[in-house]
Amino acid sequence: MESTVLDPEDFRAQYEKWVQFVAANHHGQNNRVNEEPAFTPLQKPLAEARVALLTSAGVHLSDQEPFHTATIAGDATYRVIPNDVDFSAVRFAHTHYDTSSAEQDLNVVLPITRLAELVERGRVGAASPIHIGMMGFNPDPSAIADTTGPAVAAALTDADVDVAIFAPG
Amino acid sequence: MCHRSVGLVQGAVEAAGISTASVALRPEITLGTKVPRAAYLRFPLGNPFGEPNEPAQHHRILEDLLVLLETATEPTVIELPYRWRRWGKWL
Repeated sequence: MESTVLDPEDFRAQYEKWVQFVAANHHGQNNRVNEEPAFTPLQKPLAEARVALLTSAGVHLSDQEPFHTATIAGDATYRVIPNDVDFSAVRFAHTHYDTSSAEQDLNVVLPITRLAELVERGRVGAASPIHIGMMGFNPDPSAIADTTGPAVAAALTDADVDVAIFAPG
Repeated sequence: MCHRSVGLVQGAVEAAGISTASVALRPEITLGTKVPRAAYLRFPLGNPFGEPNEPAQHHRILEDLLVLLETATEPTVIELPYRWRRWGKWL
């Protein structure tokens, strides 16, 4: 079977229903989207590119403050996860998905080992020295859009990242 | 909501000149948020790269994202053909 390209129009009604659900059930009236979506073509071959990972699965380190999960306001902050992280120091603070797979193998949500293997094979140039952990439950996405997004972009730019791979929690 | 949070940060990172691709498990939210590149997988939340300790599966999904980065010339969301089954049958 092949991959297929999805048409946003086919999902518009389902999306609007979700927006209404969040407004009604999570006090999340301030929906946000990328109004003018950017598109940055690859600037260099992947074999020369430095790659970062981002997860919204609530990943943080044991010596970092956990994300706030017991609040209707969510938590728009992020944590820097070093590429050479000791997996035994990784924690998961998120109450809106089943963390059991991630607890067995961090690579299910933040594939740091797989990225190292891709570097070893020469498929990508290098792993970013830092990756990003977030907690995705944010009924009001204003802080994510206005603060977290630009801050993460600046952190990855400072790390000379060319490519970033994102995964939801 | 994870998908909207990820999509908004993805948009900001892409706007900063970094090429991005994401996994989507709720395609309507990823599409509605308008991201540059994403791949929809019919996997449960919490498993964007598949099952624990299945490196070949993780690599398959990562490779699909890398190919999307190499081939897309405009904002593109694709659906990957894999289904959530016990390992050994998922392809």
